[in-house]
Amino acid sequence: MAPPSDASQPRLAAGCRWGGTEEDRVILFPEGAIKLQGTGRQVLERCDGQRTFGEIIAELQKQFDAADPAKVRSDISVFLEQLQKKRIVDY
Amino acid sequence: MLSNPLALIAEVTHRCPLHCVYCSNPLELAGTPSELSTEEWTNVFQQCGKLGMLHAHFTGGEPLARTDLAELISAARAAGLYTNLITSGIGLNEERLQALVDAGLDHIQISFQDSREQAANWIAGAKAHTHKIELARAIRRQVGEKKIAFTVNLVVHRQNLDHLEEMIGFIEQLHPERVEIAHTQYYGWALANRAALLPTRAQLEKAVAIVAEAEKRLAGRIRIDSVVPDYYAKYPKACMGGWGRRLMLINPAGKVLPCHAAEVLPGLSFENVREKTLGWIWQESSSFRRFRGEDWMPEPCRSCDRRTEDFGGCRCQAFLLAGDATVTDPACSLAPSHGIVESAVREANADAAVAQPAPASSFVQLQNANTELWSYRTNPE
Ligand code: SF4
Ligand code: SF4
Repeated sequence: MAPPSDASQPRLAAGCRWGGTEEDRVILFPEGAIKLQGTGRQVLERCDGQRTFGEIIAELQKQFDAADPAKVRSDISVFLEQLQKKRIVDY
Repeated sequence: MLSNPLALIAEVTHRCPLHCVYCSNPLELAGTPSELSTEEWTNVFQQCGKLGMLHAHFTGGEPLARTDLAELISAARAAGLYTNLITSGIGLNEERLQALVDAGLDHIQISFQDSREQAANWIAGAKAHTHKIELARAIRRQVGEKKIAFTVNLVVHRQNLDHLEEMIGFIEQLHPERVEIAHTQYYGWALANRAALLPTRAQLEKAVAIVAEAEKRLAGRIRIDSVVPDYYAKYPKACMGGWGRRLMLINPAGKVLPCHAAEVLPGLSFENVREKTLGWIWQESSSFRRFRGEDWMPEPCRSCDRRTEDFGGCRCQAFLLAGDATVTDPACSLAPSHGIVESAVREANADAAVAQPAPASSFVQLQNANTELWSYRTNPE
Protein backbone atom coordinates (compact mmCIF):
# COMPACT_ATOMS: atom_id res chain seq x y z
CA MET A 1 0.00 0.00 0.00
CA ALA A 2 1.05 3.54 -0.69
CA PRO A 3 1.20 6.54 1.63
CA PRO A 4 -1.85 8.85 1.50
CA SER A 5 -2.14 11.07 -1.56
CA ASP A 6 -2.94 14.77 -1.15
CA ALA A 7 -6.46 14.29 -2.43
CA SER A 8 -7.29 11.34 -0.16
CA GLN A 9 -9.60 11.85 2.81
CA PRO A 10 -8.22 10.00 5.81
CA ARG A 11 -10.75 8.66 8.31
CA LEU A 12 -10.99 6.08 11.05
CA ALA A 13 -11.44 2.57 9.64
CA ALA A 14 -14.63 0.56 10.16
CA GLY A 15 -15.27 -0.23 13.79
CA CYS A 16 -12.61 2.17 15.11
CA ARG A 17 -13.77 5.12 17.16
CA TRP A 18 -12.86 7.66 19.79
CA GLY A 19 -13.33 6.80 23.43
CA GLY A 20 -11.93 7.52 26.88
CA THR A 21 -12.19 10.85 28.65
CA GLU A 22 -11.42 14.38 27.46
CA GLU A 23 -7.98 14.31 29.16
CA ASP A 24 -7.33 10.72 28.17
CA ARG A 25 -8.56 10.42 24.64
CA VAL A 26 -8.11 7.01 23.06
CA ILE A 27 -8.98 5.41 19.78
CA LEU A 28 -10.69 2.11 20.38
CA PHE A 29 -10.20 -0.65 17.87
CA PRO A 30 -10.96 -4.38 17.94
CA GLU A 31 -7.85 -5.67 19.63
CA GLY A 32 -6.97 -2.73 21.83
CA ALA A 33 -6.76 1.01 22.12
CA ILE A 34 -4.21 3.74 21.46
CA LYS A 35 -3.85 6.66 23.77
CA LEU A 36 -3.33 9.85 21.83
CA GLN A 37 -1.63 12.97 22.99
CA GLY A 38 -0.05 15.98 21.37
CA THR A 39 0.52 15.86 17.65
CA GLY A 40 -0.85 12.36 17.17
CA ARG A 41 -4.16 13.51 18.57
CA GLN A 42 -4.11 16.67 16.47
CA VAL A 43 -3.59 14.62 13.33
CA LEU A 44 -6.27 12.05 14.04
CA GLU A 45 -8.84 14.59 15.12
CA ARG A 46 -8.56 15.98 11.60
CA CYS A 47 -9.00 12.58 9.99
CA ASP A 48 -12.74 13.09 9.70
CA GLY A 49 -13.23 11.81 6.16
CA GLN A 50 -13.96 15.41 5.08
CA ARG A 51 -10.59 17.10 5.08
CA THR A 52 -8.13 15.95 2.47
CA PHE A 53 -4.66 14.80 3.41
CA GLY A 54 -3.34 17.93 1.70
CA GLU A 55 -5.52 20.15 3.89
CA ILE A 56 -4.54 18.34 7.06
CA ILE A 57 -0.87 18.80 6.22
CA ALA A 58 -1.37 22.48 5.44
CA GLU A 59 -3.21 23.10 8.72
CA LEU A 60 -0.56 21.38 10.77
CA GLN A 61 2.33 22.99 8.93
CA LYS A 62 0.77 26.33 9.80
CA GLN A 63 0.23 25.37 13.42
CA PHE A 64 3.77 24.02 13.85
CA ASP A 65 5.40 26.78 11.87
CA ALA A 66 8.66 26.44 13.73
CA ALA A 67 9.14 22.96 12.29
CA ASP A 68 10.43 22.12 8.83
CA PRO A 69 7.28 21.73 6.65
CA ALA A 70 8.79 18.81 4.74
CA LYS A 71 9.42 17.01 8.01
CA VAL A 72 5.86 17.67 9.23
CA ARG A 73 4.55 16.20 6.01
CA SER A 74 6.70 13.09 6.05
CA ASP A 75 6.06 12.41 9.76
CA ILE A 76 2.30 12.59 9.32
CA SER A 77 2.43 10.48 6.19
CA VAL A 78 4.40 7.73 7.92
CA PHE A 79 2.13 7.89 10.98
CA LEU A 80 -1.02 7.43 8.88
CA GLU A 81 0.49 4.72 6.77
CA GLN A 82 1.35 2.73 9.90
CA LEU A 83 -2.17 3.11 11.24
CA GLN A 84 -3.56 2.09 7.89
CA LYS A 85 -1.58 -1.15 8.03
CA LYS A 86 -3.05 -1.81 11.45
CA ARG A 87 -6.49 -1.17 9.91
CA ILE A 88 -7.21 1.73 12.24
CA VAL A 89 -7.19 4.41 9.54
CA ASP A 90 -8.36 4.35 5.94
CA TYR A 91 -7.58 6.82 3.20
CA MET B 1 0.19 0.90 42.03
CA LEU B 2 -2.36 -1.52 40.67
CA SER B 3 -3.79 -0.28 37.38
CA ASN B 4 -7.36 -0.84 36.27
CA PRO B 5 -8.41 -3.80 34.20
CA LEU B 6 -8.75 -2.95 30.51
CA ALA B 7 -11.16 -5.48 29.15
CA LEU B 8 -13.97 -7.75 30.17
CA ILE B 9 -14.57 -11.13 28.62
CA ALA B 10 -18.28 -11.66 29.06
CA GLU B 11 -19.16 -15.32 28.69
CA VAL B 12 -22.84 -14.65 28.46
CA THR B 13 -23.89 -18.27 28.07
CA HIS B 14 -22.46 -21.74 27.83
CA ARG B 15 -25.23 -22.84 25.50
CA CYS B 16 -24.06 -23.58 21.98
CA PRO B 17 -25.63 -25.33 19.01
CA LEU B 18 -22.27 -26.60 17.76
CA HIS B 19 -19.91 -29.17 19.10
CA CYS B 20 -16.55 -28.17 17.75
CA VAL B 21 -14.06 -30.91 18.44
CA TYR B 22 -11.62 -28.58 20.10
CA CYS B 23 -14.22 -26.73 22.10
CA SER B 24 -13.38 -26.39 25.73
CA ASN B 25 -16.75 -25.21 26.88
CA PRO B 26 -17.40 -26.76 30.28
CA LEU B 27 -20.07 -29.36 30.14
CA GLU B 28 -21.61 -28.91 33.51
CA LEU B 29 -23.33 -26.14 31.66
CA ALA B 30 -24.42 -23.26 33.70
CA GLY B 31 -28.04 -23.82 32.66
CA THR B 32 -30.33 -20.94 31.84
CA PRO B 33 -31.75 -20.36 35.35
CA SER B 34 -28.33 -19.66 36.82
CA GLU B 35 -27.25 -17.38 33.96
CA LEU B 36 -26.87 -13.72 34.87
CA SER B 37 -29.96 -11.78 33.85
CA THR B 38 -30.08 -8.77 31.54
CA GLU B 39 -30.17 -6.47 34.59
CA GLU B 40 -27.23 -8.22 36.22
CA TRP B 41 -25.09 -7.91 33.10
CA THR B 42 -26.14 -4.28 32.70
CA ASN B 43 -24.96 -3.63 36.22
CA VAL B 44 -21.66 -5.40 35.45
CA PHE B 45 -21.07 -3.21 32.38
CA GLN B 46 -21.74 -0.08 34.41
CA GLN B 47 -19.17 -1.18 36.94
CA CYS B 48 -16.71 -1.86 34.09
CA GLY B 49 -17.23 1.63 32.71
CA LYS B 50 -16.59 3.18 36.13
CA LEU B 51 -13.43 1.14 36.52
CA GLY B 52 -12.16 2.66 33.27
CA MET B 53 -12.35 -0.55 31.29
CA LEU B 54 -12.40 -0.13 27.52
CA HIS B 55 -13.61 -3.32 25.88
CA ALA B 56 -16.33 -5.89 26.38
CA HIS B 57 -15.84 -9.12 24.45
CA PHE B 58 -19.03 -11.14 24.19
CA THR B 59 -18.33 -14.82 24.01
CA GLY B 60 -19.75 -18.13 25.18
CA GLY B 61 -20.77 -20.88 24.32
CA GLU B 62 -22.50 -19.14 21.53
CA PRO B 63 -23.47 -15.62 22.67
CA LEU B 64 -26.27 -15.57 20.09
CA ALA B 65 -28.05 -18.14 22.23
CA ARG B 66 -28.94 -15.17 24.49
CA THR B 67 -32.14 -13.68 23.13
CA ASP B 68 -31.31 -10.43 24.94
CA LEU B 69 -27.91 -10.06 23.22
CA ALA B 70 -28.86 -6.75 21.57
CA GLU B 71 -29.88 -5.35 24.95
CA LEU B 72 -26.61 -6.51 26.49
CA ILE B 73 -24.64 -4.86 23.70
CA SER B 74 -26.45 -1.58 24.06
CA ALA B 75 -25.95 -1.66 27.83
CA ALA B 76 -22.21 -2.18 27.33
CA ARG B 77 -22.08 0.64 24.78
CA ALA B 78 -24.01 2.93 27.10
CA ALA B 79 -21.41 2.21 29.79
CA GLY B 80 -18.71 3.45 27.39
CA LEU B 81 -17.32 0.08 26.34
CA TYR B 82 -16.19 -1.03 22.91
CA THR B 83 -18.25 -4.07 22.03
CA ASN B 84 -16.93 -7.15 20.32
CA LEU B 85 -18.98 -10.21 19.46
CA ILE B 86 -17.07 -13.48 19.12
CA THR B 87 -19.32 -15.93 17.36
CA SER B 88 -19.62 -18.97 15.14
CA GLY B 89 -22.30 -17.01 13.29
CA ILE B 90 -24.77 -19.86 13.65
CA GLY B 91 -28.17 -18.42 14.40
CA LEU B 92 -27.29 -15.01 13.01
CA ASN B 93 -29.42 -13.92 10.09
CA GLU B 94 -29.31 -10.52 8.47
CA GLU B 95 -32.18 -9.18 10.52
CA ARG B 96 -30.63 -10.11 13.82
CA LEU B 97 -27.27 -8.81 12.68
CA GLN B 98 -28.94 -5.49 11.95
CA ALA B 99 -30.46 -5.41 15.42
CA LEU B 100 -27.04 -5.98 16.99
CA VAL B 101 -25.44 -3.31 14.83
CA ASP B 102 -28.25 -0.89 15.69
CA ALA B 103 -27.67 -1.69 19.36
CA GLY B 104 -24.11 -0.42 18.97
CA LEU B 105 -21.98 -3.41 18.09
CA ASP B 106 -18.48 -2.25 17.13
CA HIS B 107 -16.80 -5.43 15.96
CA ILE B 108 -17.73 -8.94 14.97
CA GLN B 109 -15.33 -11.83 14.96
CA ILE B 110 -16.42 -14.96 13.14
CA SER B 111 -14.51 -18.17 13.35
CA PHE B 112 -13.91 -20.35 10.34
CA GLN B 113 -12.39 -23.75 10.58
CA ASP B 114 -11.45 -24.59 7.01
CA SER B 115 -12.27 -23.26 3.59
CA ARG B 116 -13.21 -26.70 2.31
CA GLU B 117 -16.85 -27.25 3.01
CA GLN B 118 -16.32 -30.83 4.02
CA ALA B 119 -13.35 -30.33 6.25
CA ALA B 120 -15.08 -27.40 7.89
CA ASN B 121 -18.08 -29.48 8.66
CA TRP B 122 -15.88 -32.25 9.93
CA ILE B 123 -14.65 -29.89 12.59
CA ALA B 124 -17.77 -27.95 13.36
CA GLY B 125 -20.14 -30.89 13.19
CA ALA B 126 -22.76 -28.67 11.56
CA LYS B 127 -23.42 -27.40 8.08
CA ALA B 128 -22.16 -24.03 8.98
CA HIS B 129 -19.96 -22.89 6.20
CA THR B 130 -22.22 -21.53 3.49
CA HIS B 131 -24.12 -19.63 6.11
CA LYS B 132 -20.97 -17.87 7.27
CA ILE B 133 -20.22 -16.70 3.75
CA GLU B 134 -23.70 -15.18 3.52
CA LEU B 135 -23.17 -13.57 6.88
CA ALA B 136 -19.84 -12.06 5.83
CA ARG B 137 -21.61 -10.46 2.88
CA ALA B 138 -24.32 -9.05 5.14
CA ILE B 139 -21.67 -7.57 7.42
CA ARG B 140 -20.00 -5.84 4.51
CA ARG B 141 -23.29 -4.42 3.29
CA GLN B 142 -23.33 -2.14 6.35
CA VAL B 143 -22.39 1.41 5.47
CA GLY B 144 -21.49 4.70 7.13
CA GLU B 145 -21.75 4.76 10.92
CA LYS B 146 -23.04 1.20 10.83
CA LYS B 147 -19.91 -0.14 9.25
CA ILE B 148 -18.53 -2.41 11.92
CA ALA B 149 -15.07 -3.94 12.11
CA PHE B 150 -14.93 -7.52 10.87
CA THR B 151 -12.39 -10.14 11.82
CA VAL B 152 -12.18 -13.70 10.67
CA ASN B 153 -10.67 -16.13 13.09
CA LEU B 154 -9.09 -19.20 11.62
CA VAL B 155 -8.35 -22.03 13.99
CA VAL B 156 -5.51 -24.11 12.60
CA HIS B 157 -3.87 -27.37 13.58
CA ARG B 158 -2.12 -30.37 12.10
CA GLN B 159 -5.23 -31.53 10.23
CA ASN B 160 -5.87 -28.34 8.27
CA LEU B 161 -2.61 -26.37 8.27
CA ASP B 162 -1.69 -27.70 4.85
CA HIS B 163 -4.70 -25.84 3.42
CA LEU B 164 -3.60 -22.50 4.85
CA GLU B 165 -2.90 -20.80 1.56
CA GLU B 166 -6.28 -21.81 0.25
CA MET B 167 -8.00 -20.73 3.46
CA ILE B 168 -6.43 -17.28 3.34
CA GLY B 169 -7.34 -16.93 -0.34
CA PHE B 170 -10.91 -17.78 0.50
CA ILE B 171 -11.11 -15.38 3.42
CA GLU B 172 -9.74 -12.52 1.34
CA GLN B 173 -12.94 -12.62 -0.68
CA LEU B 174 -14.99 -11.96 2.43
CA HIS B 175 -13.21 -8.60 2.88
CA PRO B 176 -12.57 -8.55 6.61
CA GLU B 177 -10.18 -5.93 8.02
CA ARG B 178 -8.44 -8.56 10.08
CA VAL B 179 -7.64 -12.24 10.00
CA GLU B 180 -6.50 -13.98 13.11
CA ILE B 181 -4.73 -17.26 12.57
CA ALA B 182 -4.67 -19.09 15.85
CA HIS B 183 -3.32 -22.51 16.58
CA THR B 184 -5.33 -24.74 18.82
CA GLN B 185 -4.22 -24.35 22.38
CA TYR B 186 -3.65 -27.53 24.25
CA TYR B 187 -6.09 -27.62 27.10
CA GLY B 188 -8.97 -30.00 27.66
CA TRP B 189 -9.95 -32.03 24.63
CA ALA B 190 -7.16 -30.56 22.53
CA LEU B 191 -4.59 -31.62 25.11
CA ALA B 192 -5.95 -35.17 25.13
CA ASN B 193 -5.76 -35.17 21.32
CA ARG B 194 -2.56 -33.22 21.04
CA ALA B 195 -0.83 -35.83 18.88
CA ALA B 196 -3.52 -35.38 16.24
CA LEU B 197 -3.45 -31.59 16.41
CA LEU B 198 0.13 -30.48 17.00
CA PRO B 199 1.64 -29.58 13.61
CA THR B 200 5.03 -30.77 12.44
CA ARG B 201 7.92 -28.35 12.20
CA ALA B 202 7.84 -28.63 8.42
CA GLN B 203 4.13 -27.74 8.35
CA LEU B 204 4.77 -24.81 10.60
CA GLU B 205 7.68 -23.45 8.58
CA LYS B 206 5.61 -23.60 5.46
CA ALA B 207 2.74 -21.84 7.23
CA VAL B 208 5.03 -19.06 8.45
CA ALA B 209 6.21 -18.46 4.88
CA ILE B 210 2.62 -18.41 3.60
CA VAL B 211 1.61 -15.89 6.25
CA ALA B 212 4.60 -13.67 5.49
CA GLU B 213 3.71 -13.65 1.81
CA ALA B 214 0.03 -12.92 2.52
CA GLU B 215 0.92 -10.11 4.93
CA LYS B 216 2.92 -8.45 2.22
CA ARG B 217 0.31 -8.92 -0.42
CA LEU B 218 -2.59 -7.79 1.75
CA ALA B 219 -0.87 -4.92 3.61
CA GLY B 220 -3.27 -2.01 4.00
CA ARG B 221 -6.27 -4.18 3.19
CA ILE B 222 -6.23 -7.02 5.67
CA ARG B 223 -4.16 -7.17 8.77
CA ILE B 224 -3.02 -10.66 9.65
CA ASP B 225 -2.38 -11.61 13.24
CA SER B 226 -0.80 -14.98 13.45
CA VAL B 227 0.09 -16.75 16.64
CA VAL B 228 2.81 -19.39 16.62
CA PRO B 229 1.96 -22.40 18.80
CA ASP B 230 3.93 -21.94 21.98
CA TYR B 231 5.23 -25.52 21.81
CA TYR B 232 7.47 -24.34 18.97
CA ALA B 233 8.37 -21.00 20.48
CA LYS B 234 11.40 -20.25 22.58
CA TYR B 235 9.44 -18.41 25.24
CA PRO B 236 5.86 -18.78 26.39
CA LYS B 237 2.97 -16.48 25.68
CA ALA B 238 2.03 -13.83 28.18
CA CYS B 239 -1.15 -15.51 29.27
CA MET B 240 -4.00 -12.99 29.35
CA GLY B 241 -1.38 -10.22 29.27
CA GLY B 242 -0.37 -11.31 32.76
CA TRP B 243 -2.52 -12.72 35.54
CA GLY B 244 -4.81 -10.07 37.03
CA ARG B 245 -3.12 -7.40 34.97
CA ARG B 246 -5.43 -6.51 32.10
CA LEU B 247 -8.47 -8.76 31.92
CA MET B 248 -11.39 -10.07 33.84
CA LEU B 249 -13.58 -12.90 32.66
CA ILE B 250 -17.10 -13.38 33.92
CA ASN B 251 -18.76 -16.71 33.27
CA PRO B 252 -22.48 -17.17 32.61
CA ALA B 253 -23.23 -17.71 36.28
CA GLY B 254 -21.36 -14.59 37.36
CA LYS B 255 -18.13 -16.16 38.54
CA VAL B 256 -15.17 -13.85 37.96
CA LEU B 257 -11.99 -15.47 36.66
CA PRO B 258 -8.52 -14.16 35.84
CA CYS B 259 -8.36 -16.48 32.81
CA HIS B 260 -10.53 -18.96 30.91
CA ALA B 261 -8.89 -22.02 32.31
CA ALA B 262 -8.42 -20.79 35.87
CA GLU B 263 -11.02 -23.15 37.24
CA VAL B 264 -8.76 -26.14 36.56
CA LEU B 265 -6.27 -24.81 39.08
CA PRO B 266 -6.53 -26.45 42.48
CA GLY B 267 -6.81 -24.42 45.66
CA LEU B 268 -8.27 -21.29 44.11
CA SER B 269 -11.73 -20.01 44.82
CA PHE B 270 -13.50 -17.39 42.76
CA GLU B 271 -15.86 -14.59 43.63
CA ASN B 272 -19.21 -13.92 42.05
CA VAL B 273 -20.50 -10.58 40.77
CA ARG B 274 -23.73 -11.37 42.54
CA GLU B 275 -21.92 -11.02 45.84
CA LYS B 276 -18.98 -8.68 45.35
CA THR B 277 -18.21 -5.61 43.27
CA LEU B 278 -15.85 -5.94 40.32
CA GLY B 279 -13.56 -3.32 41.80
CA TRP B 280 -13.21 -5.30 45.02
CA ILE B 281 -12.64 -8.54 43.13
CA TRP B 282 -9.94 -6.89 41.01
CA GLN B 283 -8.13 -5.36 43.94
CA GLU B 284 -8.71 -7.63 46.87
CA SER B 285 -9.73 -11.13 45.85
CA SER B 286 -7.25 -13.88 46.56
CA SER B 287 -7.76 -15.40 43.10
CA PHE B 288 -6.72 -12.24 41.25
CA ARG B 289 -3.81 -11.66 43.62
CA ARG B 290 -2.56 -15.24 43.54
CA PHE B 291 -0.27 -14.93 40.47
CA ARG B 292 -0.24 -11.18 40.05
CA GLY B 293 3.14 -9.49 39.92
CA GLU B 294 6.35 -11.33 40.71
CA ASP B 295 6.12 -12.48 44.30
CA TRP B 296 4.85 -15.94 43.41
CA MET B 297 7.53 -16.56 40.80
CA PRO B 298 9.97 -19.45 41.04
CA GLU B 299 13.36 -19.58 39.38
CA PRO B 300 14.26 -19.28 36.54
CA CYS B 301 11.52 -16.63 36.08
CA ARG B 302 12.35 -14.69 39.23
CA SER B 303 15.72 -13.61 37.90
CA CYS B 304 14.85 -13.63 34.21
CA ASP B 305 14.72 -10.40 32.20
CA ARG B 306 11.66 -11.52 30.33
CA ARG B 307 9.52 -11.80 33.45
CA THR B 308 7.88 -8.42 32.80
CA GLU B 309 7.00 -9.50 29.27
CA ASP B 310 5.63 -13.01 29.57
CA PHE B 311 5.03 -13.14 33.34
CA GLY B 312 6.32 -16.68 33.51
CA GLY B 313 3.82 -17.95 30.96
CA CYS B 314 0.52 -19.69 31.47
CA ARG B 315 -0.37 -20.98 34.94
CA CYS B 316 -2.89 -23.43 33.60
CA GLN B 317 -0.40 -24.94 31.17
CA ALA B 318 2.10 -25.26 34.02
CA PHE B 319 -0.50 -27.13 36.01
CA LEU B 320 -1.77 -29.28 33.15
CA LEU B 321 1.67 -30.30 31.90
CA ALA B 322 3.95 -30.16 34.91
CA GLY B 323 1.29 -30.80 37.55
CA ASP B 324 2.16 -27.60 39.41
CA ALA B 325 0.61 -24.21 38.76
CA THR B 326 3.47 -22.40 40.47
CA VAL B 327 6.31 -23.45 38.17
CA THR B 328 7.64 -21.84 34.99
CA ASP B 329 5.44 -22.62 31.98
CA PRO B 330 6.88 -25.81 30.42
CA ALA B 331 6.61 -24.15 26.99
CA CYS B 332 9.54 -21.93 28.03
CA SER B 333 12.88 -23.25 26.79
CA LEU B 334 14.39 -22.25 30.14
CA ALA B 335 11.85 -24.17 32.23
CA PRO B 336 13.12 -27.19 34.19
CA SER B 337 10.07 -29.10 32.91
CA HIS B 338 10.60 -28.11 29.26
CA GLY B 339 11.36 -31.76 28.44
CA ILE B 340 7.63 -32.47 28.49
CA VAL B 341 7.03 -30.07 25.63
CA GLU B 342 10.16 -31.16 23.79
CA SER B 343 9.07 -34.76 23.79
CA ALA B 344 5.59 -33.84 22.50
CA VAL B 345 7.25 -31.91 19.70
CA ARG B 346 9.60 -34.83 18.99
CA GLU B 347 6.67 -37.19 18.75
CA ALA B 348 4.77 -34.84 16.48
CA ASN B 349 7.71 -34.82 14.10
CA ALA B 350 8.72 -38.49 14.30
CA ASP B 351 5.31 -39.75 13.46
CA ALA B 352 4.85 -39.26 9.73
CA ALA B 353 1.39 -40.78 9.69
CA VAL B 354 -1.08 -38.17 10.81
CA ALA B 355 -2.99 -39.32 13.84
CA GLN B 356 -6.74 -38.81 13.79
CA PRO B 357 -8.36 -37.11 16.74
CA ALA B 358 -10.80 -39.11 18.80
CA PRO B 359 -14.40 -38.67 17.72
CA ALA B 360 -16.04 -35.54 18.97
CA SER B 361 -18.19 -37.33 21.50
CA SER B 362 -15.20 -38.10 23.68
CA PHE B 363 -14.30 -34.47 24.08
CA VAL B 364 -17.43 -33.97 26.02
CA GLN B 365 -15.95 -35.56 29.09
CA LEU B 366 -12.57 -34.02 28.64
CA GLN B 367 -13.24 -30.40 28.21
CA ASN B 368 -12.30 -27.76 30.69
CA ALA B 369 -13.40 -24.28 31.51
CA ASN B 370 -11.41 -22.46 28.90
CA THR B 371 -11.93 -21.31 25.39
CA GLU B 372 -9.47 -20.75 22.57
CA LEU B 373 -10.97 -17.75 20.91
CA TRP B 374 -9.53 -14.71 22.40
CA SER B 375 -8.46 -11.58 20.68
CA TYR B 376 -5.78 -9.99 22.80
CA ARG B 377 -3.35 -12.77 22.05
CA THR B 378 0.29 -12.01 22.29
CA ASN B 379 2.58 -13.89 20.02
CA PRO B 380 5.20 -15.99 21.78
CA GLU B 381 8.67 -15.62 20.27
S1 SF4 C 1 -15.88 -23.66 19.90
FE1 SF4 C 1 -17.42 -22.18 20.26
S2 SF4 C 1 -18.83 -22.51 18.62
FE2 SF4 C 1 -17.63 -24.35 18.74
S3 SF4 C 1 -18.76 -25.69 20.11
FE3 SF4 C 1 -17.35 -24.55 21.32
S4 SF4 C 1 -18.44 -22.83 22.12
FE4 SF4 C 1 -19.58 -23.65 20.39
S1 SF4 D 1 12.15 -18.20 32.54
FE1 SF4 D 1 10.14 -17.45 33.06
S2 SF4 D 1 10.25 -15.24 32.71
FE2 SF4 D 1 12.01 -16.17 31.67
S3 SF4 D 1 11.32 -16.50 29.58
FE3 SF4 D 1 10.91 -18.39 30.71
S4 SF4 D 1 8.82 -18.18 31.44
FE4 SF4 D 1 9.49 -16.15 30.83
